[in-house]
Amino acid sequence: MTTDAAVELAGVTKRFGDVVALDRVDLRVPSGVIFGFLGPNGAGKTTTIRLLTGLARPTSGEVRVLGREVTSAGFEVSSRVGYLPDVPAFYEWMTGEEYLAFVASLFGLESSVAKKRAGVLLEAAGLAGVRTRIGGYSRGMKQRLGIAQALMNAPALLVLDEPTSALDPIGRKEVLDMIEALAGKATVFFSTHILSDAERVCDEVAILDRGRVVANASVDEIRSRAGRKVALEVAGDVERVERAVAAAAWCRGVTRVGARIEAAVSDPGSAQRDVPAIVAAAGAGLVRFETVEPTLEDVFVELVERAS
Amino acid sequence: MRGFRPFFLKELREIARTWRIWVLPSIVVVFALTGPVLAKVMPEILRSMSSEQLGGAVISLPEPTWKDAYAQWVKNLTQIVTFALVIMLGGTVASEVRSGTAIMVLTKPVSRPAFVLAKAAANAVLVTATTLLGAAATWAVTLAVFGEAPLRPIVQPTAAWLAWALFLVAVMTLASVLVQSPSGAAGVGIGVYAAISIASLSRWAVEHTPAGLIGAPGALLAGDRPPLSWPLAATALIAAAALAGAAVLFARKEL
Repeated sequence: MTTDAAVELAGVTKRFGDVVALDRVDLRVPSGVIFGFLGPNGAGKTTTIRLLTGLARPTSGEVRVLGREVTSAGFEVSSRVGYLPDVPAFYEWMTGEEYLAFVASLFGLESSVAKKRAGVLLEAAGLAGVRTRIGGYSRGMKQRLGIAQALMNAPALLVLDEPTSALDPIGRKEVLDMIEALAGKATVFFSTHILSDAERVCDEVAILDRGRVVANASVDEIRSRAGRKVALEVAGDVERVERAVAAAAWCRGVTRVGARIEAAVSDPGSAQRDVPAIVAAAGAGLVRFETVEPTLEDVFVELVERAS
Repeated sequence: MRGFRPFFLKELREIARTWRIWVLPSIVVVFALTGPVLAKVMPEILRSMSSEQLGGAVISLPEPTWKDAYAQWVKNLTQIVTFALVIMLGGTVASEVRSGTAIMVLTKPVSRPAFVLAKAAANAVLVTATTLLGAAATWAVTLAVFGEAPLRPIVQPTAAWLAWALFLVAVMTLASVLVQSPSGAAGVGIGVYAAISIASLSRWAVEHTPAGLIGAPGALLAGDRPPLSWPLAATALIAAAALAGAAVLFARKEL
């Protein structure tokens, strides 16, 4: 195992009775990156996070966080990690300010430091001046308070479990903005099944499916693994054009919605040269032709379907 | 034991600012205030019933005294308050684990034994303060109603019950770690109480185990001198073992 990684899992398996939640998982998260941990529901994301935070122990394998083995590190790891669970639960009789003061006392922060930091974080979370008890907070307010409490110790590693999954679009944007603002200041490890969120803020991602890591690389590298696509919109006999495109040597598959045909291609250059001729031969007109950039979602679906 | 102090202080504030301040203290104080009054008026009520509703039959009752007021206090402590305590303490650890607040705390530099023991300590403070408050209220109202209220006959039974109540705090802490639901833990607590009550039928158990504390308040009030050294020592030992067990088991538990 290397030491410049914020998180490293080596051959980690976690079983619950006969159920294998994680199956020999290897994962490496470099220090300083915003890391997206992707996977469908039930893939094992939360189980992995429980191992990282010491809430659970691996059945076998090794989990290292900030260079230390989690199960034996004591408070050396927990004092440098911030954590937000998927559904953060607070003492609802406290106000947000009181909760942050309580969290600061758990970290042993001096009161002057705690007060200053709580003020900055409440401001960033849009909760400054809110005197309501947490029991009266909306889901979005609780999520933002959850991120604020996870940052109270100025963590070297911030672990966020599905931080945006239950939020409305505005709430999601606010949380993603907060995560983005941490770039370069801390390593952020966040799980999500919302791929556009990961695509927006992550430097690197791993894709987990049924307890196994099926990809672990930078977002660009992951995207490049997807097959390229071309899209064309035609006027005329669309079905004839579709059949002709499907018969081309470079075509790996065709889908059509109305007059728009999308084709997965093995050689985009050949497709670009051949498509106008194919359309003309079919007696149709070419309205639009473009190369489609693969999204993280395309790769995700491809990898998960391939694995199944 | 890192994190004990801030978490203990949180527990005390939680008691003061949530339903917990109302449940046990309310029950105890209501019984403390009404017990002596009931002791005073109950013979009058029974006398009036006997002449009007029992066809002229006469029930002869002695004049009530401070002893009757203290007897009410002891009866309420050993019965209703004990059950209320067991039910209230069922959620000591389980409710925080279930609600998810525990993982928010335990992913910070707080040891799991500190988490468990801070909760037990705060509950012990609540039980002790409530019991002392109730005893003081009973004494004051008894003095006002009967004009006489000796201290020793209320202090001794109350102290014996307090030892029993602190034992229950320890046992319920363990039950709340072992059983994931607050009601399930309360069920275990009631089961333990029932088992010890049955054990109190045995003379040996009364003389050597916590079973001796169940009847001790009544016996002390009656002026008897029940054997308390062994029961107190055994109770302290078992309570310490229950707390240690709760701390160790919770430390091993996956959350």
